[in-house]
Amino acid sequence: MLLEIKDIHVHYGKIAALKGVSVEVDEGEIVTLIGANGAGKTTTLKTISGLRPLTRGQILFGGKDISKVPGHKRVLMGIGQSPEGRGIFPGMTVVENLSMGAYARRDEADKDLAEVYELFPRLAERKNQAGGTMSGGEQQMLAIGRALMTKPKVLLLDEPSMGLAPKLIQQIFEIITEINRRGTTVLLVEQNAQQALQVAHRAYVLETGKVVKSAEASALLDDPQVRAAYLGGGAEAAAGPGD
Amino acid sequence: MNDSTNTNPLTRMRGGYTSFSDSIHDRWATAPRWARWVVYLLLIVLAIALPADGIGSFMSPYTDWPTLLFFPIGGYILLAIGLNVVVGQAGMLDLGYVAFFAIGGYGMAVFGTKYGWSFWEILVVGVLLSALSGILLGAPTLRLRGDYLAIVTLGFGEIVRKTANNWNYIGGPNGIGGIPHPPTLTEWTIPDNGLFDAIGIGGVQPFKYGALDGKPYYYLMLVLIILAIVFVKRLEASRVGRAWASIREDEDAAELMGVPTFKFKLAAFAIGAAIGGAGGVMYASQAVSIIPTNFPFILSATILAAVVLGGSGNLPGVILGAFLVAWIPERIRGLQEYRVLVFGAVLVILMIFRPEGLLPSRRRKAELAEGEGGMGSMGAEVGGPVTVGAGEGVE
Repeated sequence: MLLEIKDIHVHYGKIAALKGVSVEVDEGEIVTLIGANGAGKTTTLKTISGLRPLTRGQILFGGKDISKVPGHKRVLMGIGQSPEGRGIFPGMTVVENLSMGAYARRDEADKDLAEVYELFPRLAERKNQAGGTMSGGEQQMLAIGRALMTKPKVLLLDEPSMGLAPKLIQQIFEIITEINRRGTTVLLVEQNAQQALQVAHRAYVLETGKVVKSAEASALLDDPQVRAAYLGGGAEAAAGPGD
Repeated sequence: MNDSTNTNPLTRMRGGYTSFSDSIHDRWATAPRWARWVVYLLLIVLAIALPADGIGSFMSPYTDWPTLLFFPIGGYILLAIGLNVVVGQAGMLDLGYVAFFAIGGYGMAVFGTKYGWSFWEILVVGVLLSALSGILLGAPTLRLRGDYLAIVTLGFGEIVRKTANNWNYIGGPNGIGGIPHPPTLTEWTIPDNGLFDAIGIGGVQPFKYGALDGKPYYYLMLVLIILAIVFVKRLEASRVGRAWASIREDEDAAELMGVPTFKFKLAAFAIGAAIGGAGGVMYASQAVSIIPTNFPFILSATILAAVVLGGSGNLPGVILGAFLVAWIPERIRGLQEYRVLVFGAVLVILMIFRPEGLLPSRRRKAELAEGEGGMGSMGAEVGGPVTVGAGEGVE
């Protein structure tokens, strides 16, 4: 098991955001966490990458307990994250943003830079543009590209579809599949459950800080409860599959 | 921004100034190395000639110009360079910067009067002492961000002043008197002939630190300022500078890139504090006596105003800002009680025309447009129950 989260609890002040979440991610998988706003998806990712301390539980990465390791050291161990809201450095150019991804690395990053440009030709076109002046879709590409520059073993993606046009969402998900095909494990947090379940191998459903369901992604796509709650199925909506 | 169709004259003027400063910026960025060195050299010559009477009679008709150049002008510039490391480069809002100035000043006073150390020894000790106090303040508090950090630093500034006020060993409210001047290095006099007379420095003893002539102190301050500029500039271009920029622009993202954010924030605090401390040592060595009210909160605010007014994060801007903030109130001394009112109005007008500062860095402009990375983001961002994760995470 590459990444193993065992019964983690996280608090903001006195409020419990996570009340015992357990997630496992195996090497080579795409695993997705879906759930409504406030379910604890982002908190789970932030806790894995070390931006949030946990009050109870354990995070194992490659079999090693990293619960107490500071965030910047987890990057070197192989946990890369594209954060919520993209977290682009607005005053830095595209190249500068990408090379920040290689900040902690001691080895040459040229090869990885070329690979990021190959995955996102758009970024190569805009090399010298300031990150803050790019469109939402381009920023998302930059955020993912920058995370790839850390050479992650597992890539944590926080809502890559947020605020993007449907066509761009499609494109981003295709790229996520491609990144995974090239050997990077992906842990994906999404509100867009439809898309997420289509690309993922396995999925966890989070509700108010707890995992309420976990299964093969394809099984969840057909699950009536999940359909009603997250896929716009059920009585109110008519969004069928394949739209 | 320079759309000619806009009928608002204010906007048009603002646009004109922006495109002007942008073109200067471009020219500087593409200038060859030798051209830059020529400019640096000219600036240094200008700075050396600055205390001349001819310049002084216009710049400061009411007070002794060389003394004014030493403090507040030179002092503010040095402090602004130091505060700019914290605010402009690392993006942390520090409202208690005067504390480090005070620690340097009291360091000079205590070691100079009670232990008989010389200025040069105390300068080193004072700098180390201030840096250490920066670390002591920073270590427990730098996990806070934005407004919360600002409040804690504000408190620190007050604590230092109150402590000085209530601690009899360092004179309580009466402060410390009889602080020694720096030892005179040489009685050497600049020859009184053509060239030196032309720039108005003939007959000056630049290394004799007495009670009367302000010029030697000004030159000493100038050396300190130049050293600080070189030091800070080199840092800015290094990995440290990149780490600070990333922290300023998005601290969480910086941590996710493997930047040890806490360590670098602490370093910024310590370096800023060290420069402030150096300013304090210099100030006390000239002032002969210091009292706690020399180090009020308003001085922290003034230096911060200088940094923001000049263009936070951009060294030439910060220096210009500090110069104006120190010089304008002295220049308009003739207005007597209206002086502060006019000074305030000037600050407000400048900020209307140049909200991003007089000489902002281009990067800073992009950051402000994004609404991030201002001064410690200026927004509440702390691991409390309210703001975290923009709606995520809290049930």
